[in-house]
Amino acid sequence: MRFENKVKKVYRGLGLKISLFAIGVLGFAASAFAHESVFAWTYTTDLLPKGRWEIEHWTTARLEKEHGTYNVVDFREEFEYGVTDNFGVSLYLNHHDVNAKESVPQEDPNNSGHRLPGSFETGGEDIHADHDPSLPFDSYHFESVSVELIYRILSPYKDPIGLALYLEPEFGDEETEIESKILLQKNWLEDQLVWALNLNYALEFEKEEEGEYERDAKFEWFTGLSYRFISNWSFGLEFWNHHEFADATEHEHSAYFLGPTLHYGAKNWWASLGFLHQLPIGQAISEDNKEFAEHDGYIFGDEHEKYYIRLKIGINF
Amino acid sequence: MKRFGKTLRWLTVPGIVIVMDAPSYAEVYLSVEQAQQVIFPGEGFSEIPLQLSSYQKAEIKKRSGIAVRDRGMRVWKTGKGDFLIVDTVLGKHEFITYAVGILSDGTVRQIEIMDYRETYGYQIRDEVWRKQFVGKNAQSELMLDKDIKNISGATLSCRHITDGVKRLLATYETVFRKK
Repeated sequence: MRFENKVKKVYRGLGLKISLFAIGVLGFAASAFAHESVFAWTYTTDLLPKGRWEIEHWTTARLEKEHGTYNVVDFREEFEYGVTDNFGVSLYLNHHDVNAKESVPQEDPNNSGHRLPGSFETGGEDIHADHDPSLPFDSYHFESVSVELIYRILSPYKDPIGLALYLEPEFGDEETEIESKILLQKNWLEDQLVWALNLNYALEFEKEEEGEYERDAKFEWFTGLSYRFISNWSFGLEFWNHHEFADATEHEHSAYFLGPTLHYGAKNWWASLGFLHQLPIGQAISEDNKEFAEHDGYIFGDEHEKYYIRLKIGINF
Repeated sequence: MKRFGKTLRWLTVPGIVIVMDAPSYAEVYLSVEQAQQVIFPGEGFSEIPLQLSSYQKAEIKKRSGIAVRDRGMRVWKTGKGDFLIVDTVLGKHEFITYAVGILSDGTVRQIEIMDYRETYGYQIRDEVWRKQFVGKNAQSELMLDKDIKNISGATLSCRHITDGVKRLLATYETVFRKK
């Protein structure tokens, strides 16, 4: 009931926004070409053919921290172009809507490094550094611009395994990040069964108070298995394991996520809908995370929420 | 149920798009009769009902390395003893229907793409690409980037058609070739 109410609140009003987007893209979809990902989170090594364009719209809801309210909807507009059949570039525009109140534990002012029992403040990585944590945070914000470069070395349709390298620098007013990925893909059963694995490493420079930046790093891996059960439709499972490193060196935690993904691919467009639930088997490693991030086996802290829902719609032309 | 209404309203959008997209989807280039006349002009055809046995299915897999998905085959024989097989392979989203004309000596006379509903990869209909299969038989390698050139950007379709032709040549060798 609590979760449903959160979803309801987050998406109230978004129906119109998404409908307008869909109507807009349908105008030119009739003569379009499609390229797609069968997963919501995991990348495959599939790329656009040379000279093709694609527009993607991502909507990702991230819901619920340890306490209070924490509802974020990330929007991502992607413009992708196939430079060659094995090299693609994309421009991402990232913006989000954040609604939070008393979401993270408050530190005891008289006992540094420990919680103030029963006391929470507004926090999380989506909350601006200069925001007063005693107040709720409700903001729509243009977050960042990022560029994606993917080079495919091996194709899963010709080689024993697909392999691609990914680089994504991101520039924002609150955070700057550079992310690299190794993408692997293996297909079976005439390409109806698709497995993909992504190994990701990212360096983040997050804005702190007084204009300083905190350096963090994350290592994470995503994997997904998807089966095309009838023409056009695929169903799969995705798994995500995230490791956070404070100052890019101190291992803070490991968090785990699992959930289903449904995909539809048509001639002119495609959509993937995925859901991830954080598994209550997370491990807080640093003393700070043991005190502030771990709760009932879940890892929250700045980085994570309990539920993730993502809808990706791609239109090619 | 009412509480789900607003919450899940946004999910109806992909549904609307699917319905609107469906009617403009198929690209049919040749009917069976047209494919017959393109590959074997002026010939008469008699259909040969064929349901592969378990032994034949296993033998075809052994010869070609490609699994048989459907035991039911659509086969026609010409008055001269040549064969035409209409088959399907998987595309990215849907099935691709194609026809292969096989001469009585077990070599490919011609292949034709009968329908194609995919996003891209339409280049497999190009005559130059299809001509690579002419003269191939069950002993041919039929491998992309070896004896069959790949079309960059249409790799999935190229590979599935190549595998399909290889499987049909093994089918001919297993079922129809006079020993």
